[in-house]
Amino acid sequence: MTPATDTSADMGTATPDAQDGTFAALRGQLRDAAERFAEAPGAAADILAGMVDDVDRALAEELEIFPVCHHSPASALAMARRLREKRPKVVYLELCEDMRPLLDELRNCRLPVALQAFASDVQGFDPEWAPLSVVAPITEASAEYQAIAYALETPGVELVAVDWSTDHVFQWEESDPAARRTAADPDAAAASRPGDEEDSEEDGESALHGDAVGIELGDLRPGFAELEEYLLHHGRVRHWSEWWDQYVEQPLSGAGYDAYRQAMLLVGSLFRRLRDTGDLRRSEERERFMWTRMRQHLAASELDAGDALYVCGALHAASRVEQFGARSDAPYEIAERTGTRWLHGLIPSSHSAIEAQFGLARGSVSIAAATWEKALKRSGVAPFRLAGQKGTSRKAPKAAPVSDAPAEDRLSGFLTTPPEPGVLDEQELLTWAVDIVRLARRNGYMASTADAIAVVETSVLLAGVRGRNRPTPYDFQDAAITCIEKDTVPGRRDVRRLCEILLGGDRVGQVGYAALPPLAQNVLDRLEPLGVDLTKRTVQRALLDLRSEPRLQACSDVLWILHRMLPDGIVRPIMGSRRLGERSVQESWDLSLGRDQRWLVELGYEGVTIEQVLEQRLRKIAWAPDATASAALGAVEDALVLLGNRRFVDELGARAVELLSAERTVDDAPDVLKRVRRLLAHYRASEPELPAWCKEFVTEGYAHYCTLLPTAFTEDETGVRQVAAMLGFLFGMESLALSLGCDHAQLEIAVAQSHPEAPAKVALLWAARVQLGVLSRSDLRERCDEMLGNPLVVPAFPHYLSGFVHALEPVPTFAPFVVEVMSKAFGSLPDHLLLPWLPRLVMTLREHAAELVPVLTREAGRTFPGSLPALDAWTPPWEAVRPREPDSRAGVPSAPSGPVAELLAAHPAACDAAAALFGLDPVWQAAPAGPASASSAASELLGRHPDAAGALAALLTR
Amino acid sequence: MTETDKAKSGKATSEKATSEKAQSGTQDMLRAPAEVKYAEELDYLESVDDGPKPFTWRLSPKMVRAFILGSERADGLDREIPQKWFGDRTFVERSIVTLASDRGLLLIGDPGTGKSWLAELLAAAVCRNSTLVVQGTAGTTEDHIKYSWNVSMVIAKGQSRESLIPSPIMTAMEGGVVGRFEELTRSTSDVQDALISILSEKYVSIPELDDDNIVFAKPGFSIIATANSRDRGVNDLSSALKRRFNFVRIPVVTNKKSEAEIVRFRTTELLRRHRIELEVPPTLLDILLQSFADLRTASAAATSDDERLESALSTAEQIGVLEDAILHSRFFGDDTLRATTLASSLVGSLARRSPEDLAILNKFWHGVVEGRSKKEGGEWQGFLEGGREAIATLS
Repeated sequence: MTPATDTSADMGTATPDAQDGTFAALRGQLRDAAERFAEAPGAAADILAGMVDDVDRALAEELEIFPVCHHSPASALAMARRLREKRPKVVYLELCEDMRPLLDELRNCRLPVALQAFASDVQGFDPEWAPLSVVAPITEASAEYQAIAYALETPGVELVAVDWSTDHVFQWEESDPAARRTAADPDAAAASRPGDEEDSEEDGESALHGDAVGIELGDLRPGFAELEEYLLHHGRVRHWSEWWDQYVEQPLSGAGYDAYRQAMLLVGSLFRRLRDTGDLRRSEERERFMWTRMRQHLAASELDAGDALYVCGALHAASRVEQFGARSDAPYEIAERTGTRWLHGLIPSSHSAIEAQFGLARGSVSIAAATWEKALKRSGVAPFRLAGQKGTSRKAPKAAPVSDAPAEDRLSGFLTTPPEPGVLDEQELLTWAVDIVRLARRNGYMASTADAIAVVETSVLLAGVRGRNRPTPYDFQDAAITCIEKDTVPGRRDVRRLCEILLGGDRVGQVGYAALPPLAQNVLDRLEPLGVDLTKRTVQRALLDLRSEPRLQACSDVLWILHRMLPDGIVRPIMGSRRLGERSVQESWDLSLGRDQRWLVELGYEGVTIEQVLEQRLRKIAWAPDATASAALGAVEDALVLLGNRRFVDELGARAVELLSAERTVDDAPDVLKRVRRLLAHYRASEPELPAWCKEFVTEGYAHYCTLLPTAFTEDETGVRQVAAMLGFLFGMESLALSLGCDHAQLEIAVAQSHPEAPAKVALLWAARVQLGVLSRSDLRERCDEMLGNPLVVPAFPHYLSGFVHALEPVPTFAPFVVEVMSKAFGSLPDHLLLPWLPRLVMTLREHAAELVPVLTREAGRTFPGSLPALDAWTPPWEAVRPREPDSRAGVPSAPSGPVAELLAAHPAACDAAAALFGLDPVWQAAPAGPASASSAASELLGRHPDAAGALAALLTR
Repeated sequence: MTETDKAKSGKATSEKATSEKAQSGTQDMLRAPAEVKYAEELDYLESVDDGPKPFTWRLSPKMVRAFILGSERADGLDREIPQKWFGDRTFVERSIVTLASDRGLLLIGDPGTGKSWLAELLAAAVCRNSTLVVQGTAGTTEDHIKYSWNVSMVIAKGQSRESLIPSPIMTAMEGGVVGRFEELTRSTSDVQDALISILSEKYVSIPELDDDNIVFAKPGFSIIATANSRDRGVNDLSSALKRRFNFVRIPVVTNKKSEAEIVRFRTTELLRRHRIELEVPPTLLDILLQSFADLRTASAAATSDDERLESALSTAEQIGVLEDAILHSRFFGDDTLRATTLASSLVGSLARRSPEDLAILNKFWHGVVEGRSKKEGGEWQGFLEGGREAIATLS
């Protein structure tokens, strides 16, 4: 016999005594039972007898204790009945006391929603815990919602949350490190308990609570895994929710109040006694707190304890702490809260999120909700409901007349006889069977009416095998799987999932506008002009034509900021982009703010407007202890693009300069280069003068990278890419830096001091020296040819080549040479060297595709012939040029030719004046004689066939 | 003789045969069918069973469950019935219920997950006859499912009911008992399709005969088929046939505790069959289970079939390994099961392809077993040695 049926049966016979407050007969029976099982009076007998004492004690308490269990329709039903009968003047609720103000906002929401307490600024706790987040979900089919609705809707009734504040929850965690996480969240720890391991198909909805710690009213579950396993095994059920449903929920759903209360107290007491001590200590601490708070409130409000109702989990009802009872005067010191500032709000929740967080079987909360609706219809009890509550399309059933007579004792009756199968259930089963077949068909199953018949038959048979009078939803689910599921799942969902959907499905709550934090309200207000309903749970497409409707510009700004701050996919641009110097005239967006309300709500904890939050976040990035110059430049960019606040940008820029000068590594050099280039381009294009911080950044960077260059070249940890980026900065910003007072000699010295050993870096250094004019290209070419000719060096040649490829970034004019070297390498390297290296080259090029590939392909296109036949007659330009290269003085460029040079040579006055101004002595090189050789062929051709040119001239002059 | 009379006499003969078999005990049989082996248990259950029985079932569904899964206190029996099939309770319940309904039962799963054993137990408990089996192979023909003719008798007497040889399925129909079809997906589609009419119309017509040419199924007739999920795609079931079967998928047992129970249970049985008195030390059982668990993890993580052992690493495979080791120690050893023997049995049973399987085992031995032997010592060291030797011998 299972423990549950055991106790129920015994209780059934003991009820008359229970009414008198004496449980002598029951106690005796339990002791007998214990002796029979354990064959000696001992621990078991003590526990069983103690349970009766607990019930006795709780019932005798003057302040009425209402034991509940979470997601229990029976609790909710009993609560609704009791509240209508008793009409208490004050309701004490086992709920974090700091969450009480949130309850008033519930009427603006569609349930289930979760009350959230959130703290990002942590004081007095381990800073690693931040941000702290606690959620307490509330569903409609729960006793606490009944109590809340009654108290808030009835004038003159006070609702008091008496449990630990969220701060105390974490204080306990900190005081008890062993119990961390698990203590604050016994249910999360229970998630891995046997019987709950369902297949984990991840749904978006089940992650609605994020990584918050969950607390719940009325956690009632065996403290030991072993006990639970035992109960499940002998109860012939798969998981805890099913056990509860079958052995407690169903028998109690039609029970009278006294029966309900006594049974719940008994179960609570049993689990409490079989709990491990750590858990128990925590429970007792909370009970002390709650009773003290209640007594304080009673004293302050001068209410009679008889007018109050204390709603708590059944586990806490049978408490043995000395503070128990309205008349107790045991002192208890309530700990001060820490300095942590807690923020509170409502976030949407869902059945699947609750199940995932509290380790319940999948679909159990939905089944509870369905049972609640059914129980309401059958019992005719009118539930309490907050006025204006959303999502209450269904009409509440007519209220049954409530008699004022004391509750009749129906305990013995129903506990000894099984619940009668309602006519409705038969009908319901048929409807379900038909519906599941329809649903299965829609999901690709080959299901037919024959399957519907088989499902009904199998459900009834299964219920029979499992010793139930009528099929439970769980039996139905098994039957549907047996009859419909074949060897493969044709669609996305299997039959189990379809059953869950059928039995109520997942319900997702929504927080109403009025209950949203100011930031979220502000965002919704500002997005109003879009004309899109953002409360809908589907993805909304917003189209913005900024040219024809300039007023939408403000909306666009808001959307870009949200896009920056919210996780991916919530505010998603489909068309349009906003970057430095880029603005779209048309934008289209996919918005799912209705579905992902939680993120917006949590953003609301950080500030009052999104601009303020963004500013805070950027500031945080730039002033973080591990901030880097590149991150600060990123923040500058964001601030420029999204906020456009000049003062703030300058502040961030100054911080970037500060960070750069303090940096000792050059890991971020590529990022820094990319960003500062973009910023400079932006400022040059849009402003008359560079901002001060920008100038400072360039001069500081020039000096900084010059200093670090020799070390970066030699150090193994610094990659080629970083060094290339440093050189890129130095060469690219040189003109600006020199104009701002930097010294070119600094760079020359730095390069001269560099003595790299790695081949790639050596190649990079050579490129730098060529750029500086210290090394001539022909020398470099010779060097490379020598290397290719030397069999001992050839294996290392690919490394050099990598270096050259990287040199494209700092020295873009190096491209022809890189193409040349690469062609030679491909031409002459042996396959066993070339082939292993090729993938690496491809990877390098792919990684830096944006910077390197266009330069290289353009150059290659210019060098190589465009068609195959031309290839035969083609000689590489370097081979054609080579014998004629007249370069005698390294570093001195040959005299340029062309129309510009000709013009300048013809009118030298301006250049002479400029040279004089710089204190130089102008010397004019002789221009190469005659017209440029390149164009001579063209002029010859034109000379021979002048007709076309003449016709063109005539056309132009006409 | 009317139909019912015949059925009665058929039933009587089969029962008589069963009880005789039971009487002669399991002595003369290498492997007794479940209804013979557990005849006494079944008799007892039948005597105390007062629950409603569907059709001609010998036990009520609850008692069938108790027979297969073992009794619990809640069943209110005054003696303990041991568990015979280990696995999720739901599977058994769903299977029993399916047999009581209009549809056939198809047990599907990886090889070695206990499908056939469950089918045998179900048939034994429901109708005391688990021997009406058709084995599905590529060579199975429609005759094996319906009926064939005794040729010499046909020549002598012509076609009549006497010269007809009923198939096990037809016998089951006539007797209103459960017929079994092993490896349904191994047989070709036309053979499978012959089952459709049997399962829906519940009769077989014999067009060769002029009268008495239809064999109707008696109430209680049902079919338990098994199919190997690794064979999927060889001969896929038609949707018409699928519709007539309820599928119960039996997963590979991965829970270490229940796996240990299964291995222990089956090995004890095998030992009894071989009449061997030999103790299996719990530490060795642990090593075996642990190795299989490790190999399964490795197999799940492998990306190609070459990195995966050919074996399905099922529970049955473990039993095979243990049995092999025990027999080896009994006949060639000193009557004690040693870790080295176990290791060489394991290598010998799992190394089917050379060099792929050997390479995997070699890697496993060096990567995992060596680590465990260093960390845990004890029997693992012997296990390490034995495995190494066996791998060296084979490669």
